[in-house]
Amino acid sequence: MPSEDSESRWAPIRTAGRVTAHAKTHLTVLLIVVGAELIGTQTFAVGPGQVVLLPMLFAVVVGVLVSYSVLGQYVAPLRKIVTEEVSRISSPMLVIALMPLGVKYGMMVGPSFSELVQAGPAFVLQEFGNLGTILIALPFALVLGLKREAIGGAVSIAREPTLGVITDKYGIESPEGRGVLGTYLTGTVLGTVFFGLLGGFAPATGLHPLALSMACGMGSASMMTACSSSLAEAVSAVPEDQLLSFAATSNLLTGVTGLYMVLFIGLPVITRLYGVLEPVIGRGDPEPDADAVRDAGGD
Amino acid sequence: MELPEFSVESLKMLLVVGALTLTANWVGYGISPLDAAPGIGLVVAIGFVSLVLGRVLPLDLPSFAYAMVIAFLLAIPFSPVQGQVLAMTEQIDFLATTTPILAYAGLSIGLQTTRMKEVSWKLVLVAVLVFFGTYFGSALISHLVLAAQGII
Repeated sequence: MPSEDSESRWAPIRTAGRVTAHAKTHLTVLLIVVGAELIGTQTFAVGPGQVVLLPMLFAVVVGVLVSYSVLGQYVAPLRKIVTEEVSRISSPMLVIALMPLGVKYGMMVGPSFSELVQAGPAFVLQEFGNLGTILIALPFALVLGLKREAIGGAVSIAREPTLGVITDKYGIESPEGRGVLGTYLTGTVLGTVFFGLLGGFAPATGLHPLALSMACGMGSASMMTACSSSLAEAVSAVPEDQLLSFAATSNLLTGVTGLYMVLFIGLPVITRLYGVLEPVIGRGDPEPDADAVRDAGGD
Repeated sequence: MELPEFSVESLKMLLVVGALTLTANWVGYGISPLDAAPGIGLVVAIGFVSLVLGRVLPLDLPSFAYAMVIAFLLAIPFSPVQGQVLAMTEQIDFLATTTPILAYAGLSIGLQTTRMKEVSWKLVLVAVLVFFGTYFGSALISHLVLAAQGII
């Protein structure tokens, strides 16, 4: 039911009779933006790598902190300004706010068209690298004692297409569904900060900056941007525009192929591997379901 | 929300985003809003088309992808308007476009923090490993292929 879907999704941007809520939202964002830009980009060396703190990282952290459900819970005056409605309006606004970035990316990718075509094979093959997560995360999840949640949690970085495939196949209430939701939510809440820090630090591994920038494209525009901008800030050997456009192209490709990767490769591989590994390294539990419920319901 | 109403409301919101981007561009990168205004005009126009395409086309691609592809087509070497569009958007610093996005993202994450409390710490650890695995899996393959091709 696409019409119902888009109704609830876009309804918050309606301004009729809701001018105050909109004013609160956009002024809060304005204050965050001005504050973040005044602080500016901060870079410092830690061990073999660099920590790059971009204005966007300050913006996301402050945005979360001032939310009604975080600091607003304890500070009543803040809750009056940054209401729950502010967060609801911000959700579809995110899609609209991505437009300038999308245009900027297109304008960077266009002129470097021929370099991208040259690197075509690498772009295509690195899509399989997204499966690397299965080999690393699945055994770890089993050792932790997770059962079928591990399948949903470890199959991929779980942006929207994966969430769709897993919930479609197993249902959101299934162990697999809880697993995929866990990775999805963790990515939503921590992903930008995580990849913003990783992008600045990654050159310390000795992998080439172009390869690192392609890896930034994982199917989430904000994670990719945080990752590649920090990388570009930390690296001087490759032009900034080239790093950013390689990341954006890889992200676009993942957006197109990601669903099929999970459906036709990721999921068959992980279920088979689960069947092999679980009896060996999985922690025996006579009642796997009770375990699953405890893990999901948590503390 | 029907398409005509969606068009009007999203255009209003694009203008808000445009104003925020101009501000970030000015405060953070010292580019006068007057110099950046034509570029923002282009962004609003492309953004509007992309948002509508995202609603109308049955391709299931995000409007972000349409914005990128349209801008890409305008800026490829064979495009007759390459020079003009690049000159316009050059006045908008890349990072200035990211701060408003992440500010909205942060505020909207507020809706998820309560659900996040229901995710067990084990799943959070697994997710972090997934992040590392995806990133370095792709980076390693890219590195090897680019090296084999002699690009790096």
